[in-house]
Amino acid sequence: MPDTQVKDAVDKVRAATQELHKAISDAAAKRGGAAKADLEAIPPKAKAAIDSIKGSMATQNEATKKRLTEAATYLEASGKHAADGVKSTGKEFQTAVRQTIADARAAAQKASEAVAAKRTAGATAGAKK
Amino acid sequence: MRNYIAVVFDDTSKAYEGLHALWQMDDEGAITVHGTTVVHRNDWGEYQVDSKDTHPALATAVGVGVGALLGALAGPAGAAVGAAKGAAIGAASGGAVGAVADLNRADTRDESRYETGWVLGAGQSAVIADVSEDSTFPIDERMRRLGGKVNRRAWSAVRDDKWFDDRALYPYDGYLYPYDYYLYPYEYIPPYSPWWAY
Repeated sequence: MPDTQVKDAVDKVRAATQELHKAISDAAAKRGGAAKADLEAIPPKAKAAIDSIKGSMATQNEATKKRLTEAATYLEASGKHAADGVKSTGKEFQTAVRQTIADARAAAQKASEAVAAKRTAGATAGAKK
Repeated sequence: MRNYIAVVFDDTSKAYEGLHALWQMDDEGAITVHGTTVVHRNDWGEYQVDSKDTHPALATAVGVGVGALLGALAGPAGAAVGAAKGAAIGAASGGAVGAVADLNRADTRDESRYETGWVLGAGQSAVIADVSEDSTFPIDERMRRLGGKVNRRAWSAVRDDKWFDDRALYPYDGYLYPYDYYLYPYEYIPPYSPWWAY
């Protein structure tokens, strides 16, 4: 049972980062004011995902923990760039959008790597039994 | 182990079944999928990558990305040509924005066709994915049953391709390679495109 709970926690973190990346991609596809309005919603979403990571960290193995920490760092950066984007225009806005989506993609990647690390550790432990 | 795979199908709908099967295997915990996309090659040899409308800020990276991705999967030689000629391959919808100029250059388009032809023949579709797998069997078996042929290249080998070392030439973010922009970290199936019929 504890193993299932841990797996669920990491999966939940990944789902949150995937959702964030999707939201930013959707926002980036829009133009002007619509994109900005959507971008405004990103920092709180990023913060919620970071909180989700913090809540699931304690019970992880080192490899998983490392990936989750990196994911949190990218999420923080993504939220910051999104906030910068809301306040900017023109080329600065485009740069901010690009950085927001790149950081969100990297966060999703790290969360996914955390899931893989967790699964590999589980498979190795199962094989030793 | 972590690998890039290109699963080639003769039929577009089968490719989407393959895409769905990959995410299903991820959900079951048999593999971990880090990102996927679907690439089509029409009967005239032109490529389309399924993507959302993309913000202009990303367009250039997208245009270069797909060429780099297909080239990288073809091996070291393919990586160099694929990346160099990557902008010759267009993406669907907004992704084409950054690639439009080079799309019209027949010479680069033809070279790209040749270099990536072993992965994707005319009229075929491929699921491209970045996966972690403890064994190659689950994916190979599942895709074989769907009629797909799996091409696989180690993630580390693709990352080590010398071509991507030149940051001045490819000033991406350092942690994202050109083709990363193409791989969705979640299952994305775009609305039907008339392109698929050709």
